[in-house]
Amino acid sequence: MQQRIITVILLIGLCLGLSLLASAMATWRMPDNQQGYAPEQPIAYSHRLHAGDLQIDCQFCHSAASSSRHAGIPSSDACMKCHRYVTAPFDQMQHEMRMADEEGRKAKTIVSPELQKLYDYLALDENFEQIQGAEPKAIPWVRVHNLPDFACFNHQAHVGAGVACQTCHGPVESMERVRQYATLSMGWCVNCHRDAAHDGIDGHAVDATTDCSVCHH
Amino acid sequence: MTQSTDDQRPGRFDPGDAPLQVFDLDEPSELSRRRFLEAAGFSLSLAAVGGCQRAPVEVALPSPVQPVGAIPGRLQYFASTCAGCPSSCGLLIGTRDGRPLKMEGLPGHPLSDGGLCAVGQAQPIGLYDSHRLKGPLAAGKPAEWDAVDRAIIDALKQTIEQSGAVRFVSPTITSPTLLSYLGQFLGQFADAKLVILDPVSHSAILDAHEQTHAIRVLPHYRFDRAEVVVSFAADFLGTWISPVEFTAGWSKHRSPSEDSPQMSYHVQFESRMSLTGCNADRRFSIAPQEQGPLLAGLAAEVSRLAGQALDEPLAQSATQSYQPILAELAHRLWDARGESLVVCDSQSVEMQRVVNLINHRLGNYDSTLDLKQPSRQRQSNDREVEQLLEELKDGNVAALLVADVDLLHDLPGSKTLTDAIGKIPVTVSFAQREDEFAAVAKFVCPDHHALESWSDSEPVSGLVSLTQPTLRPLNQTRAVLESLAIWSGQPTSAYDALRSHWEESIFPSRKPDAPSEPLGFWEQTLHNGFAEVEVAEASVGAFEAAAVLPLSEPDVTEDFSLILYQKISMPDSRHAHNPWLQELPDPVTKVTWGNYVCVSPEDAEKLSLSDGDIVSIAAGEEPQQLELPVLIQAGQHKSVLAVALAYGCKGTNRFAEIGPQWLEARPTVADQEQVGKNAAELIEFHNGTQQYLRFGVKLKKTGRQHELAATQKFHSLDVPAEVAPYGASHREIIEHTTLGEFAKDAHSGAAEHHFDGDKQLWPEDHPKPKHAWGMVIDLNRCTGCSACVIACQSENNVPVVGYDEVRRQREMHWMRIDRYYTGENEDLEVAHQPMMCQHCDNAPCETVCPVLATVHSSEGLNEQVYNRCVGTRYCANNCPYKVRRFNWFKYPHDDLLQNLVLNPEVTVRSRGVMEKCSLCVQRIEAGKIEARSQGQPIADGAIQTACQQSCPASAIVFGDMNDQESDIHAALENPRRYRVLEELNVRPSVSYLRVVKNRDEELRHG
Repeated sequence: MQQRIITVILLIGLCLGLSLLASAMATWRMPDNQQGYAPEQPIAYSHRLHAGDLQIDCQFCHSAASSSRHAGIPSSDACMKCHRYVTAPFDQMQHEMRMADEEGRKAKTIVSPELQKLYDYLALDENFEQIQGAEPKAIPWVRVHNLPDFACFNHQAHVGAGVACQTCHGPVESMERVRQYATLSMGWCVNCHRDAAHDGIDGHAVDATTDCSVCHH
Repeated sequence: MTQSTDDQRPGRFDPGDAPLQVFDLDEPSELSRRRFLEAAGFSLSLAAVGGCQRAPVEVALPSPVQPVGAIPGRLQYFASTCAGCPSSCGLLIGTRDGRPLKMEGLPGHPLSDGGLCAVGQAQPIGLYDSHRLKGPLAAGKPAEWDAVDRAIIDALKQTIEQSGAVRFVSPTITSPTLLSYLGQFLGQFADAKLVILDPVSHSAILDAHEQTHAIRVLPHYRFDRAEVVVSFAADFLGTWISPVEFTAGWSKHRSPSEDSPQMSYHVQFESRMSLTGCNADRRFSIAPQEQGPLLAGLAAEVSRLAGQALDEPLAQSATQSYQPILAELAHRLWDARGESLVVCDSQSVEMQRVVNLINHRLGNYDSTLDLKQPSRQRQSNDREVEQLLEELKDGNVAALLVADVDLLHDLPGSKTLTDAIGKIPVTVSFAQREDEFAAVAKFVCPDHHALESWSDSEPVSGLVSLTQPTLRPLNQTRAVLESLAIWSGQPTSAYDALRSHWEESIFPSRKPDAPSEPLGFWEQTLHNGFAEVEVAEASVGAFEAAAVLPLSEPDVTEDFSLILYQKISMPDSRHAHNPWLQELPDPVTKVTWGNYVCVSPEDAEKLSLSDGDIVSIAAGEEPQQLELPVLIQAGQHKSVLAVALAYGCKGTNRFAEIGPQWLEARPTVADQEQVGKNAAELIEFHNGTQQYLRFGVKLKKTGRQHELAATQKFHSLDVPAEVAPYGASHREIIEHTTLGEFAKDAHSGAAEHHFDGDKQLWPEDHPKPKHAWGMVIDLNRCTGCSACVIACQSENNVPVVGYDEVRRQREMHWMRIDRYYTGENEDLEVAHQPMMCQHCDNAPCETVCPVLATVHSSEGLNEQVYNRCVGTRYCANNCPYKVRRFNWFKYPHDDLLQNLVLNPEVTVRSRGVMEKCSLCVQRIEAGKIEARSQGQPIADGAIQTACQQSCPASAIVFGDMNDQESDIHAALENPRRYRVLEELNVRPSVSYLRVVKNRDEELRHG
């Protein structure tokens, strides 16, 4: 009897252990699998706000995606197309304008701390003029999607074939801080290539080969 | 641009936190077997866990302000002009993310016609060279430009007050704008002169034309119009004047087809073995002193045919055996009069006058030699150089400015000048690196690299081209033109100077169809790279037959005669710091890293010399001796020695540790020495020209040895009789025929294969439905110039391995040019064959790879997957073409500046993996993507491999063999087409077109 109880307890323990292991395995990743990687960026830029709420097209900023291997991180002067005028969250600016109207004064320029970093990188003064003697500096964005050097991914080929950005990058429009959505492993690439070669993308045939040298050269 | 930081990521394993047990290894008794295994297991697991860390954090830096039109990661091309030598070929600079990476030939350029030589292609590695001067030097110490300018202006003012002599020394300047500013600068002084000192002078040709045609110019040679070419030692396919242009022109006449079995006839008389000699239809190995009598004999025969027989012979008659040859040659020339060309590289003015006489009698002026729109590619005037030497010795120069040439290295007798130069009040060097003159000059004002500066060029009268910068200067350097403008008191930027000069002087002479606005003309020229303009024809005098005088007899002694020549890979000392060029095998000798004494096989046997024996050679009464290793060169005439110039340059000891530094590594450069030895001391001035041929040279064995690093040593197509099976005394690697045979049967010369190509070991289950990439190389056009080798190295990130590794046959070039000899002495035949991965359909390498690292693609490419390769080297051993290269080491990439030369489209291979030609698969992929995004099929010719793009002879055709309309499809149908080692039935995708020599007599079959 006692032996049976011990057996049952051991079995329950084993099941519990296995289930714990299984749940642990679910988050276990192969070395160099960076899925879920979401580093802090020098400026807390929100894709949720820009791509989600404001519905700015991905290629408005990542304009090289359709013509080059890199999608390209926009240069800081591209940000200035809007942020010369939009210096803080819209409600804060509106509030200040209303207050200024009521008090009969000129509205102050409210600058959010994150946008101040952008102006600092570009070496701009409060009137958005270049500060004398200062050079604009590149913003050191931390790379999220980083393939090994022996794999050559080409954005132009994929954008041209009609692959949606979200297929690989996930719902970026809902991400406050960008995180790596897919594993970006070779198996993941090859699966998609096989499927696309067989079924096409959105109904049209594509040349998605699985020859090694397509990516490795 | 990306860079790594030391940031720690969350979750990253830090070995520092792990508990470590420390064992005292001095007390082995304490370490039981069990403890040892524990420790070993622990360290293994530590290593395994340590290896599982996440990738390092990388930062992506977009440019703060995006330049207009720049797309990150996309290759952009800019038309420009090559500055490797004054030939000024058209250049197409491939830049990516603001970095110039790949030099290509500019298609449609009137001179180079899309070709570019090895030197032009090797420019990027010279640009990203951390040994270039960072800024100006004053008295050998780093200084500020302001201070240097003030000091120079003050010193020059004194020179003006004292009416001192100012001498500006430079190799040929083809830039009209620089010449105009130079004129302005020199105009300030009472006694100022521009002295042209080319590293190898062609002064005699100009002098001869001054005497026979009353105009001191270099004719514009038109090999593209010549049906019969006779060259007396002029290596016009290798180094002579403008080799890319001449190769392009010459090769136009080297493609006989079934419909018109015609090609040009090229005869070469020479004493050493030159690249041009290798490619001639008939090559005669002559003693140097025979050149005069042969020229005179030819002149007599041609004059007789022209009905203007010479009154008296110009020299003693040539050896009797040459008489019928000369008579036949004269007939051939006469039949092709107006479409023939006789050239000679002699620096003897009287011999060049005879050459002019022959060309005049043949009516070649105005057709194959253009004097009315002459070339400006070489302007040397040796009388002025000799005069400068005298002035320097006498201390009569007050200011000496030297640009682009190392006065103390390239000039004979200059060693004795060091003291005299030290006494000159103002000495300025514009050198980019501290060369021998810069080391003694009071001021060094380094010039930009050509890829950083604005300039222009007029290589041939009526053709102007622009040089544009492709990146901001990396160092605090300044264009020569800007320095001169500042010292003339009118500071300007090189760009403004160009714009104003072009608007004033070049725009008015534009062609009628050119844009009518200066800005439009400028922009069109900048886009195209060049413009043709209308210029007044030079006033050429009537031919002065009386100027052609009998030749004086050379002072021949029993000793050796010495020929100083330019190596194709190292034309002048400015390129001595270029590791790609240093490691480029010479097309004929196949030796890398340094120069040597070429000795004929007869002399070697007589003196019992073997390859690598160090000998000392001395000329005349000079005490100086040159000690160099011997290389036995087939085809060289007996009693002739040949040594390459432009070696032994200051600072090349930097290459001592290039390549892997392992236990048995030998340095590339011996301690305190340079790469090669400087032979310029053996040049002598004679009758107003620099002589590269010397008689009375003594040779002495030293008993020491230096192994030469050659990439090919004993590759003869003849199999030694004792080992050759019956009927196989000759390898069928290069197939030959003669024009006569070809006209009768276009398939003549084909090797007989006793095999059935239809029988296959493998089933035919690898269809290539989309594309089937292939290549055809016309061996009759290919000269072996090796431009493709550097093109491939630049495109595919091929590392430089250094002398020691080349010596061990571990060079890494994906593309090599095989050189084969057949026959001996007068019958010696030389063939060059570019050899790279043949992309076999039945590839022997693929079946032996245990990890499937080399597999076949659906487009017929043999792919090498570096990240799969484990380095068994089975594939290399099973490759019949020996084209696979193994990374024995992790070749150094420590110089971060130098790494900017790497092509980001091609993986940098690591230690322990195999690599080989990929048929530029990165270009194929880019071409496919580009065509697809435009919704078009890939146009034939839209994808070009790196080797094909720059080939000066257009010998390489690449394309899709499935495309019935393509050039390659036509080439595959060519009756001359064959495949190397076809009997192995590996079905290569690369094929060759048979060599056809324009000859009547039967060739050795092979």
